[in-house]
Amino acid sequence: MSRIREVLGEDPEIVLAERRYDWISKVLPKVMRGARPITLSDLLDKALLDKYLGIPIFLALWWALFRFTFDVSAPFSDLIDMFFSRLGEAVEPALGGGVLSSLIADGLLGGLGSVLVFIPPIFFLFFGLSILEDSGYLARAAFVVDKILYKLGLHGRSFIPMLLGFGCNIPGVMACRTIDREEDRLLTIIVNPLMSCSARLPVYVLISSAVLGGYAAAGIYSMYIMGIGLAIAMALLFRRVIPYFRGRRSAFIMELPLYTVPTLRSTILHMWERGVLFLKKAGTVIFIGVLVVWALSSFPWGAGLEESYIGMLGRALEPLFRPLGFDWRGAVALFFGFIAKEIVVGTFGVIFGAGGEASEEEIADVIRSENIFTPLTGYAFMAFTLIYIPCVATVGVIYRETNSWKWTLFTVLYELLLAYFTAFLIVSVGHLLGFS
Amino acid sequence: MDSRGGKVQRRLSDLKPGEGGKIVRITGPPSLRRRLLDMGLVKGAYIEVVRKAPLGDPMEFLVKGYNLSLRKEECDNVYVST
Repeated sequence: MSRIREVLGEDPEIVLAERRYDWISKVLPKVMRGARPITLSDLLDKALLDKYLGIPIFLALWWALFRFTFDVSAPFSDLIDMFFSRLGEAVEPALGGGVLSSLIADGLLGGLGSVLVFIPPIFFLFFGLSILEDSGYLARAAFVVDKILYKLGLHGRSFIPMLLGFGCNIPGVMACRTIDREEDRLLTIIVNPLMSCSARLPVYVLISSAVLGGYAAAGIYSMYIMGIGLAIAMALLFRRVIPYFRGRRSAFIMELPLYTVPTLRSTILHMWERGVLFLKKAGTVIFIGVLVVWALSSFPWGAGLEESYIGMLGRALEPLFRPLGFDWRGAVALFFGFIAKEIVVGTFGVIFGAGGEASEEEIADVIRSENIFTPLTGYAFMAFTLIYIPCVATVGVIYRETNSWKWTLFTVLYELLLAYFTAFLIVSVGHLLGFS
Repeated sequence: MDSRGGKVQRRLSDLKPGEGGKIVRITGPPSLRRRLLDMGLVKGAYIEVVRKAPLGDPMEFLVKGYNLSLRKEECDNVYVST
Protein backbone atom coordinates (compact mmCIF):
# COMPACT_ATOMS: atom_id res chain seq x y z
CA MET A 1 0.00 0.00 0.00
CA SER A 2 2.68 2.50 1.06
CA ARG A 3 4.72 1.49 -1.99
CA ILE A 4 1.82 2.23 -4.30
CA ARG A 5 1.53 5.58 -2.62
CA GLU A 6 5.23 6.24 -3.22
CA VAL A 7 5.06 5.40 -6.89
CA LEU A 8 1.93 7.41 -7.53
CA GLY A 9 2.74 10.22 -5.12
CA GLU A 10 -0.93 10.16 -4.09
CA ASP A 11 -3.48 8.05 -2.27
CA PRO A 12 -4.39 5.19 -4.63
CA GLU A 13 -8.11 5.79 -4.20
CA ILE A 14 -7.72 9.39 -5.22
CA VAL A 15 -5.77 8.42 -8.30
CA LEU A 16 -8.45 5.86 -9.13
CA ALA A 17 -11.20 8.43 -8.87
CA GLU A 18 -9.31 10.84 -11.06
CA ARG A 19 -8.67 8.25 -13.75
CA ARG A 20 -12.32 7.18 -13.62
CA TYR A 21 -13.57 10.71 -14.19
CA ASP A 22 -10.89 11.24 -16.79
CA TRP A 23 -12.28 8.34 -18.76
CA ILE A 24 -15.88 9.48 -18.28
CA SER A 25 -15.11 12.96 -19.52
CA LYS A 26 -13.50 11.49 -22.66
CA VAL A 27 -16.40 9.18 -23.43
CA LEU A 28 -19.25 11.47 -22.47
CA PRO A 29 -19.00 13.97 -25.35
CA LYS A 30 -19.14 11.09 -27.85
CA VAL A 31 -22.42 9.70 -26.54
CA MET A 32 -24.26 12.77 -25.27
CA ARG A 33 -24.96 16.07 -26.91
CA GLY A 34 -26.25 19.43 -25.82
CA ALA A 35 -25.57 21.65 -22.85
CA ARG A 36 -27.60 21.55 -19.67
CA PRO A 37 -30.72 23.61 -20.29
CA ILE A 38 -32.32 25.82 -17.68
CA THR A 39 -34.91 23.62 -16.07
CA LEU A 40 -38.04 24.11 -14.03
CA SER A 41 -35.92 22.99 -11.07
CA ASP A 42 -33.66 26.01 -11.49
CA LEU A 43 -36.64 28.31 -11.55
CA LEU A 44 -38.15 26.70 -8.44
CA ASP A 45 -34.84 27.02 -6.63
CA LYS A 46 -34.69 30.70 -7.50
CA ALA A 47 -37.77 31.18 -5.34
CA LEU A 48 -37.38 28.42 -2.73
CA LEU A 49 -33.73 29.19 -1.97
CA ASP A 50 -34.02 32.95 -2.40
CA LYS A 51 -31.98 35.05 -0.01
CA TYR A 52 -35.09 36.65 1.46
CA LEU A 53 -37.90 34.23 0.59
CA GLY A 54 -35.99 31.05 1.37
CA ILE A 55 -36.46 31.09 5.12
CA PRO A 56 -40.13 32.20 5.18
CA ILE A 57 -40.99 29.48 2.65
CA PHE A 58 -39.08 26.93 4.70
CA LEU A 59 -40.95 27.92 7.87
CA ALA A 60 -44.31 27.84 6.09
CA LEU A 61 -43.68 24.36 4.71
CA TRP A 62 -42.69 22.83 8.02
CA TRP A 63 -45.66 24.45 9.67
CA ALA A 64 -47.87 22.83 7.04
CA LEU A 65 -46.26 19.44 7.70
CA PHE A 66 -46.69 19.92 11.44
CA ARG A 67 -50.37 20.75 11.13
CA PHE A 68 -50.90 17.92 8.68
CA THR A 69 -49.25 15.38 10.98
CA PHE A 70 -51.03 16.34 14.16
CA ASP A 71 -54.25 18.18 13.34
CA VAL A 72 -55.44 16.20 10.37
CA SER A 73 -54.68 12.92 12.09
CA ALA A 74 -56.22 13.89 15.45
CA PRO A 75 -59.82 12.84 14.66
CA PHE A 76 -58.59 9.39 13.63
CA SER A 77 -56.62 9.02 16.86
CA ASP A 78 -59.65 10.17 18.85
CA LEU A 79 -61.78 7.56 17.12
CA ILE A 80 -59.33 4.79 17.97
CA ASP A 81 -59.06 6.03 21.55
CA MET A 82 -62.84 6.17 21.91
CA PHE A 83 -63.26 2.74 20.39
CA PHE A 84 -60.89 1.12 22.87
CA SER A 85 -62.20 2.88 25.97
CA ARG A 86 -65.79 2.00 24.99
CA LEU A 87 -64.77 -1.57 24.32
CA GLY A 88 -63.06 -1.72 27.70
CA GLU A 89 -66.13 -0.34 29.45
CA ALA A 90 -68.36 -2.81 27.68
CA VAL A 91 -66.12 -5.79 28.25
CA GLU A 92 -65.29 -5.31 31.94
CA PRO A 93 -68.79 -5.79 33.42
CA ALA A 94 -69.52 -8.57 30.95
CA LEU A 95 -66.54 -10.49 32.31
CA GLY A 96 -67.64 -10.11 35.92
CA GLY A 97 -65.25 -7.39 37.09
CA GLY A 98 -62.53 -9.65 38.51
CA VAL A 99 -58.78 -9.71 37.98
CA LEU A 100 -59.16 -11.30 34.56
CA SER A 101 -61.64 -8.73 33.32
CA SER A 102 -59.44 -5.89 34.55
CA LEU A 103 -56.46 -7.51 32.85
CA ILE A 104 -58.37 -7.71 29.59
CA ALA A 105 -60.12 -4.33 29.79
CA ASP A 106 -57.46 -2.09 31.34
CA GLY A 107 -54.31 -4.04 30.61
CA LEU A 108 -54.65 -5.69 27.20
CA LEU A 109 -57.21 -3.43 25.53
CA GLY A 110 -55.69 -0.33 27.13
CA GLY A 111 -52.25 -1.40 25.98
CA LEU A 112 -53.42 -2.14 22.46
CA GLY A 113 -55.24 1.18 22.34
CA SER A 114 -52.19 3.13 23.43
CA VAL A 115 -50.17 1.58 20.61
CA LEU A 116 -52.82 2.09 17.96
CA VAL A 117 -53.54 5.78 18.74
CA PHE A 118 -50.06 6.54 17.44
CA ILE A 119 -50.80 5.06 14.03
CA PRO A 120 -52.62 8.04 12.49
CA PRO A 121 -49.99 10.71 13.30
CA ILE A 122 -47.19 8.38 12.29
CA PHE A 123 -48.70 7.40 8.98
CA PHE A 124 -49.61 11.02 8.24
CA LEU A 125 -46.11 12.15 9.14
CA PHE A 126 -44.48 9.59 6.90
CA PHE A 127 -46.87 10.47 4.10
CA GLY A 128 -45.94 14.15 4.36
CA LEU A 129 -42.22 13.46 4.79
CA SER A 130 -42.18 11.13 1.80
CA ILE A 131 -43.70 13.86 -0.36
CA LEU A 132 -41.11 16.39 0.80
CA GLU A 133 -38.31 13.87 0.37
CA ASP A 134 -39.35 12.48 -3.02
CA SER A 135 -39.99 15.94 -4.40
CA GLY A 136 -36.42 16.95 -3.59
CA TYR A 137 -37.27 19.68 -1.08
CA LEU A 138 -35.90 17.92 2.01
CA ALA A 139 -32.33 18.36 0.80
CA ARG A 140 -33.05 22.07 0.22
CA ALA A 141 -34.52 22.44 3.70
CA ALA A 142 -31.27 21.16 5.18
CA PHE A 143 -29.39 23.56 2.89
CA VAL A 144 -31.40 26.51 4.20
CA VAL A 145 -30.97 25.91 7.94
CA ASP A 146 -27.66 24.08 8.15
CA LYS A 147 -25.74 27.13 9.32
CA ILE A 148 -27.76 27.61 12.51
CA LEU A 149 -27.94 23.95 13.44
CA TYR A 150 -24.26 23.36 12.74
CA LYS A 151 -23.43 26.03 15.30
CA LEU A 152 -25.67 24.25 17.80
CA GLY A 153 -23.81 20.97 17.39
CA LEU A 154 -26.39 19.40 15.10
CA HIS A 155 -26.87 19.09 11.34
CA GLY A 156 -29.11 20.85 8.80
CA ARG A 157 -31.24 17.77 8.64
CA SER A 158 -31.86 17.78 12.40
CA PHE A 159 -34.33 20.61 12.08
CA ILE A 160 -37.43 18.73 10.98
CA PRO A 161 -37.13 16.00 13.64
CA MET A 162 -36.70 18.61 16.38
CA LEU A 163 -39.72 20.48 15.17
CA LEU A 164 -41.92 17.41 14.95
CA GLY A 165 -40.96 16.71 18.55
CA PHE A 166 -43.25 19.54 19.60
CA GLY A 167 -46.17 17.45 18.42
CA CYS A 168 -44.94 14.06 19.52
CA ASN A 169 -41.43 12.77 20.08
CA ILE A 170 -42.16 9.48 18.32
CA PRO A 171 -42.44 10.88 14.80
CA GLY A 172 -39.64 13.26 15.80
CA VAL A 173 -37.28 10.42 16.61
CA MET A 174 -38.35 8.47 13.53
CA ALA A 175 -37.82 11.46 11.24
CA CYS A 176 -34.13 11.41 12.25
CA ARG A 177 -33.74 8.76 9.56
CA THR A 178 -33.32 11.54 7.03
CA ILE A 179 -29.94 12.35 8.67
CA ASP A 180 -27.41 10.13 6.96
CA ARG A 181 -24.40 10.52 9.22
CA GLU A 182 -24.74 8.15 12.18
CA GLU A 183 -23.27 10.45 14.88
CA ASP A 184 -25.53 13.33 13.90
CA ARG A 185 -28.57 11.08 13.73
CA LEU A 186 -27.93 9.60 17.17
CA LEU A 187 -27.33 12.98 18.78
CA THR A 188 -30.54 14.35 17.29
CA ILE A 189 -32.44 11.32 18.59
CA ILE A 190 -31.22 11.57 22.16
CA VAL A 191 -31.98 15.27 22.56
CA ASN A 192 -35.33 15.04 20.77
CA PRO A 193 -37.42 14.12 23.85
CA LEU A 194 -36.52 17.51 25.35
CA MET A 195 -38.80 19.14 22.78
CA SER A 196 -42.01 19.58 24.69
CA CYS A 197 -44.54 17.24 23.07
CA SER A 198 -48.28 17.90 23.07
CA ALA A 199 -48.92 15.26 25.76
CA ARG A 200 -47.10 17.42 28.31
CA LEU A 201 -49.35 20.39 27.73
CA PRO A 202 -52.31 19.10 29.83
CA VAL A 203 -49.94 18.70 32.79
CA TYR A 204 -48.66 22.28 32.43
CA VAL A 205 -52.20 23.56 32.09
CA LEU A 206 -53.38 21.74 35.20
CA ILE A 207 -50.51 22.69 37.50
CA SER A 208 -50.09 26.26 36.29
CA SER A 209 -53.81 27.01 36.51
CA ALA A 210 -53.82 25.55 40.02
CA VAL A 211 -50.86 27.42 41.49
CA LEU A 212 -49.40 30.02 39.14
CA GLY A 213 -52.43 32.33 39.00
CA GLY A 214 -51.86 35.25 36.65
CA TYR A 215 -48.53 33.81 35.51
CA ALA A 216 -50.05 30.58 34.20
CA ALA A 217 -49.61 31.37 30.48
CA ALA A 218 -46.07 32.65 31.00
CA GLY A 219 -45.28 29.51 32.99
CA ILE A 220 -46.51 27.25 30.19
CA TYR A 221 -44.68 29.22 27.53
CA SER A 222 -41.46 29.09 29.54
CA MET A 223 -41.61 25.27 29.46
CA TYR A 224 -41.26 25.27 25.68
CA ILE A 225 -38.36 27.70 25.83
CA MET A 226 -36.75 25.64 28.58
CA GLY A 227 -37.06 22.50 26.43
CA ILE A 228 -35.40 24.14 23.43
CA GLY A 229 -32.67 25.65 25.60
CA LEU A 230 -31.90 22.33 27.25
CA ALA A 231 -31.88 20.47 23.92
CA ILE A 232 -29.30 22.93 22.58
CA ALA A 233 -27.26 22.81 25.79
CA MET A 234 -27.27 19.00 25.84
CA ALA A 235 -26.33 18.75 22.15
CA LEU A 236 -23.38 21.06 22.72
CA LEU A 237 -22.41 19.25 25.91
CA PHE A 238 -22.57 15.74 24.43
CA ARG A 239 -20.63 16.92 21.40
CA ARG A 240 -17.87 17.98 23.76
CA VAL A 241 -17.75 15.26 26.41
CA ILE A 242 -18.84 12.02 24.71
CA PRO A 243 -15.95 10.59 22.69
CA TYR A 244 -18.33 9.08 20.12
CA PHE A 245 -19.63 12.52 19.15
CA ARG A 246 -16.33 14.33 19.44
CA GLY A 247 -13.75 15.01 16.79
CA ARG A 248 -14.31 15.96 13.21
CA ARG A 249 -17.84 16.99 12.41
CA SER A 250 -19.58 15.36 9.53
CA ALA A 251 -19.28 17.21 6.27
CA PHE A 252 -22.19 18.68 4.40
CA ILE A 253 -21.58 17.17 1.00
CA MET A 254 -25.01 16.75 -0.47
CA GLU A 255 -26.55 16.65 -3.87
CA LEU A 256 -29.50 18.94 -4.46
CA PRO A 257 -31.49 16.70 -6.77
CA LEU A 258 -33.82 17.96 -9.49
CA TYR A 259 -37.36 18.48 -8.28
CA THR A 260 -39.76 15.74 -9.26
CA VAL A 261 -43.44 15.21 -8.70
CA PRO A 262 -43.66 12.36 -6.20
CA THR A 263 -45.80 9.47 -7.28
CA LEU A 264 -48.64 8.41 -5.04
CA ARG A 265 -47.46 4.82 -5.26
CA SER A 266 -43.97 5.45 -3.92
CA THR A 267 -45.24 7.85 -1.28
CA ILE A 268 -47.72 5.33 0.05
CA LEU A 269 -45.13 2.59 -0.15
CA HIS A 270 -42.69 4.65 1.93
CA MET A 271 -45.38 5.48 4.45
CA TRP A 272 -46.45 1.87 4.74
CA GLU A 273 -42.95 0.44 5.17
CA ARG A 274 -42.01 2.86 7.92
CA GLY A 275 -45.37 2.75 9.66
CA VAL A 276 -45.41 -1.04 9.86
CA LEU A 277 -41.87 -1.07 11.22
CA PHE A 278 -43.00 1.22 14.02
CA LEU A 279 -45.89 -1.09 14.84
CA LYS A 280 -43.73 -4.19 14.94
CA LYS A 281 -40.82 -2.96 16.99
CA ALA A 282 -42.01 -0.06 19.11
CA GLY A 283 -45.48 -1.52 19.51
CA THR A 284 -44.18 -4.50 21.46
CA VAL A 285 -42.25 -2.34 23.93
CA ILE A 286 -45.19 0.01 24.47
CA PHE A 287 -47.57 -2.87 24.98
CA ILE A 288 -45.38 -4.55 27.59
CA GLY A 289 -44.82 -1.24 29.39
CA VAL A 290 -48.53 -0.62 29.71
CA LEU A 291 -49.10 -4.13 31.07
CA VAL A 292 -46.38 -3.71 33.71
CA VAL A 293 -47.86 -0.45 34.96
CA TRP A 294 -51.33 -2.02 35.00
CA ALA A 295 -50.04 -4.86 37.16
CA LEU A 296 -48.22 -2.54 39.56
CA SER A 297 -51.30 -0.39 40.07
CA SER A 298 -53.81 -3.26 40.36
CA PHE A 299 -52.04 -5.49 42.89
CA PRO A 300 -52.44 -6.44 45.66
CA TRP A 301 -55.88 -7.01 44.19
CA GLY A 302 -58.68 -4.92 45.71
CA ALA A 303 -56.39 -2.38 47.36
CA GLY A 304 -56.72 1.32 46.56
CA LEU A 305 -54.04 3.07 44.58
CA GLU A 306 -52.34 4.16 47.78
CA GLU A 307 -51.92 0.56 48.99
CA SER A 308 -51.06 -0.86 45.57
CA TYR A 309 -47.49 -1.68 44.62
CA ILE A 310 -47.29 1.60 42.84
CA GLY A 311 -48.49 3.44 45.94
CA MET A 312 -45.82 1.65 47.96
CA LEU A 313 -43.30 2.62 45.33
CA GLY A 314 -44.47 6.22 45.58
CA ARG A 315 -43.96 6.17 49.33
CA ALA A 316 -40.58 4.53 48.95
CA LEU A 317 -39.57 7.20 46.45
CA GLU A 318 -40.97 10.04 48.53
CA PRO A 319 -37.71 10.80 50.41
CA LEU A 320 -36.00 11.18 47.04
CA PHE A 321 -38.57 13.73 45.90
CA ARG A 322 -38.72 15.59 49.23
CA PRO A 323 -35.92 18.03 48.33
CA LEU A 324 -38.00 19.00 45.28
CA GLY A 325 -41.12 19.51 47.39
CA PHE A 326 -43.16 16.63 45.84
CA ASP A 327 -44.96 14.12 48.08
CA TRP A 328 -45.85 10.49 47.29
CA ARG A 329 -48.76 11.59 45.12
CA GLY A 330 -46.45 13.60 42.90
CA ALA A 331 -44.09 10.62 42.74
CA VAL A 332 -46.92 8.25 41.75
CA ALA A 333 -48.24 10.66 39.12
CA LEU A 334 -44.76 10.96 37.62
CA PHE A 335 -44.40 7.19 37.65
CA PHE A 336 -47.60 6.80 35.67
CA GLY A 337 -46.48 9.56 33.37
CA PHE A 338 -44.05 7.02 32.00
CA ILE A 339 -46.93 5.44 30.02
CA ALA A 340 -47.83 8.77 28.47
CA LYS A 341 -47.18 12.11 30.06
CA GLU A 342 -50.80 13.25 29.95
CA ILE A 343 -51.60 10.37 32.34
CA VAL A 344 -50.04 12.47 35.10
CA VAL A 345 -53.27 14.47 35.06
CA GLY A 346 -55.45 11.34 35.12
CA THR A 347 -53.44 9.93 38.01
CA PHE A 348 -54.08 13.00 40.15
CA GLY A 349 -57.71 12.53 39.16
CA VAL A 350 -57.77 8.96 40.47
CA ILE A 351 -55.90 9.84 43.66
CA PHE A 352 -58.11 12.81 44.56
CA GLY A 353 -61.44 11.50 43.33
CA ALA A 354 -62.35 8.94 45.97
CA GLY A 355 -63.92 6.22 43.84
CA GLY A 356 -64.54 8.07 40.59
CA GLU A 357 -62.22 10.30 38.65
CA ALA A 358 -62.09 13.96 39.64
CA SER A 359 -62.54 16.65 36.99
CA GLU A 360 -59.69 18.99 36.16
CA GLU A 361 -61.14 21.88 38.14
CA GLU A 362 -61.60 19.61 41.15
CA ILE A 363 -58.00 18.44 40.85
CA ALA A 364 -56.78 22.03 40.69
CA ASP A 365 -58.87 22.86 43.78
CA VAL A 366 -57.43 19.97 45.74
CA ILE A 367 -53.89 20.88 44.70
CA ARG A 368 -54.49 24.38 46.08
CA SER A 369 -56.46 23.49 49.21
CA GLU A 370 -54.28 20.58 50.29
CA ASN A 371 -51.16 22.54 49.47
CA ILE A 372 -49.79 19.75 47.32
CA PHE A 373 -47.82 22.28 45.34
CA THR A 374 -46.76 25.81 46.10
CA PRO A 375 -46.19 28.05 43.08
CA LEU A 376 -42.50 27.22 43.34
CA THR A 377 -42.77 23.44 43.69
CA GLY A 378 -45.57 23.41 41.11
CA TYR A 379 -43.28 25.11 38.63
CA ALA A 380 -40.51 22.65 39.52
CA PHE A 381 -42.99 19.80 38.95
CA MET A 382 -43.80 21.18 35.50
CA ALA A 383 -40.11 21.35 34.65
CA PHE A 384 -39.65 17.80 35.93
CA THR A 385 -42.53 16.63 33.74
CA LEU A 386 -40.96 18.33 30.74
CA ILE A 387 -37.56 16.76 31.16
CA TYR A 388 -37.75 13.37 32.88
CA ILE A 389 -37.77 10.05 31.01
CA PRO A 390 -39.66 10.11 27.74
CA CYS A 391 -42.86 8.10 27.70
CA VAL A 392 -42.67 4.35 27.17
CA ALA A 393 -43.63 4.75 23.51
CA THR A 394 -40.75 7.14 22.88
CA VAL A 395 -38.36 4.83 24.73
CA GLY A 396 -39.58 2.02 22.47
CA VAL A 397 -38.94 4.09 19.37
CA ILE A 398 -35.53 5.25 20.56
CA TYR A 399 -34.58 1.61 21.04
CA ARG A 400 -35.99 0.72 17.64
CA GLU A 401 -34.16 3.57 15.89
CA THR A 402 -30.81 3.26 17.67
CA ASN A 403 -30.99 -0.51 17.91
CA SER A 404 -29.01 -0.15 21.12
CA TRP A 405 -30.06 -0.59 24.72
CA LYS A 406 -26.99 1.35 25.70
CA TRP A 407 -28.11 4.58 24.01
CA THR A 408 -31.73 4.02 25.05
CA LEU A 409 -30.68 3.66 28.69
CA PHE A 410 -28.37 6.61 28.34
CA THR A 411 -31.25 8.79 27.17
CA VAL A 412 -33.49 7.68 30.04
CA LEU A 413 -30.77 8.22 32.64
CA TYR A 414 -29.48 11.58 31.49
CA GLU A 415 -33.03 12.90 31.29
CA LEU A 416 -33.87 11.67 34.79
CA LEU A 417 -30.76 13.29 36.21
CA LEU A 418 -31.31 16.48 34.24
CA ALA A 419 -34.94 16.65 35.40
CA TYR A 420 -33.96 16.17 39.02
CA PHE A 421 -31.14 18.67 38.80
CA THR A 422 -33.30 21.29 37.06
CA ALA A 423 -36.21 20.93 39.48
CA PHE A 424 -33.81 21.10 42.40
CA LEU A 425 -32.19 24.20 40.97
CA ILE A 426 -35.57 25.87 40.52
CA VAL A 427 -36.61 25.11 44.09
CA SER A 428 -33.25 26.14 45.58
CA VAL A 429 -32.94 29.38 43.66
CA GLY A 430 -36.60 30.11 44.41
CA HIS A 431 -35.98 29.65 48.14
CA LEU A 432 -32.97 31.94 47.97
CA LEU A 433 -35.11 34.58 46.29
CA GLY A 434 -37.66 34.30 49.06
CA PHE A 435 -40.38 32.21 47.32
CA SER A 436 -41.94 29.39 49.28
CA MET B 1 -5.18 34.19 -3.07
CA ASP B 2 -1.90 32.70 -4.11
CA SER B 3 -0.44 32.29 -7.51
CA ARG B 4 1.48 29.36 -8.90
CA GLY B 5 2.95 29.01 -12.32
CA GLY B 6 1.47 32.33 -13.39
CA LYS B 7 -2.13 31.24 -12.90
CA VAL B 8 -4.34 32.75 -10.19
CA GLN B 9 -5.63 30.24 -7.69
CA ARG B 10 -8.61 30.99 -5.51
CA ARG B 11 -10.40 29.09 -2.81
CA LEU B 12 -13.77 27.85 -3.91
CA SER B 13 -15.26 29.53 -0.86
CA ASP B 14 -14.06 32.94 -2.07
CA LEU B 15 -16.00 32.81 -5.33
CA LYS B 16 -19.22 34.76 -5.76
CA PRO B 17 -22.43 33.39 -7.28
CA GLY B 18 -22.04 33.19 -11.03
CA GLU B 19 -18.26 32.78 -10.87
CA GLY B 20 -16.56 29.50 -11.65
CA GLY B 21 -13.25 27.90 -12.39
CA LYS B 22 -11.29 24.75 -13.03
CA ILE B 23 -10.37 22.71 -9.98
CA VAL B 24 -6.60 22.80 -9.46
CA ARG B 25 -6.12 20.96 -6.20
CA ILE B 26 -7.96 19.73 -3.16
CA THR B 27 -6.39 19.77 0.30
CA GLY B 28 -7.62 18.52 3.66
CA PRO B 29 -7.88 15.08 5.27
CA PRO B 30 -8.01 12.09 2.89
CA SER B 31 -11.55 11.15 3.95
CA LEU B 32 -12.87 14.54 2.88
CA ARG B 33 -10.86 14.50 -0.34
CA ARG B 34 -12.17 11.09 -1.20
CA ARG B 35 -15.77 12.12 -0.63
CA LEU B 36 -15.32 15.22 -2.74
CA LEU B 37 -13.74 13.13 -5.49
CA ASP B 38 -16.64 10.72 -5.33
CA MET B 39 -18.94 13.64 -5.99
CA GLY B 40 -17.00 14.50 -9.14
CA LEU B 41 -14.69 17.20 -7.81
CA VAL B 42 -11.61 16.06 -9.71
CA LYS B 43 -8.71 18.07 -11.02
CA GLY B 44 -9.66 19.88 -14.17
CA ALA B 45 -13.41 19.73 -13.58
CA TYR B 46 -15.27 23.00 -14.08
CA ILE B 47 -17.26 24.16 -11.05
CA GLU B 48 -19.50 27.18 -10.74
CA VAL B 49 -21.12 28.87 -7.74
CA VAL B 50 -24.90 28.90 -8.15
CA ARG B 51 -25.86 30.62 -4.93
CA LYS B 52 -25.26 30.89 -1.24
CA ALA B 53 -27.85 29.63 1.26
CA PRO B 54 -30.06 32.40 2.67
CA LEU B 55 -27.83 32.60 5.74
CA GLY B 56 -24.63 32.72 3.67
CA ASP B 57 -23.52 29.14 4.30
CA PRO B 58 -23.55 26.44 2.84
CA MET B 59 -23.03 27.20 -0.86
CA GLU B 60 -24.54 25.58 -3.91
CA PHE B 61 -22.44 24.63 -6.94
CA LEU B 62 -23.00 23.37 -10.42
CA VAL B 63 -20.50 20.65 -11.25
CA LYS B 64 -20.65 17.96 -13.94
CA GLY B 65 -24.23 18.87 -14.68
CA TYR B 66 -25.71 18.50 -11.22
CA ASN B 67 -26.19 20.68 -8.16
CA LEU B 68 -24.04 20.08 -5.11
CA SER B 69 -24.02 21.82 -1.76
CA LEU B 70 -20.96 22.21 0.44
CA ARG B 71 -20.22 24.11 3.61
CA LYS B 72 -17.69 26.93 3.33
CA GLU B 73 -15.47 24.96 5.66
CA GLU B 74 -15.33 22.19 3.06
CA CYS B 75 -14.82 24.38 0.03
CA ASP B 76 -11.94 26.11 1.78
CA ASN B 77 -10.05 22.99 0.76
CA VAL B 78 -10.81 23.30 -2.93
CA TYR B 79 -8.67 25.57 -5.10
CA VAL B 80 -9.73 26.65 -8.54
CA SER B 81 -8.06 28.67 -11.28
CA THR B 82 -10.26 31.34 -12.76
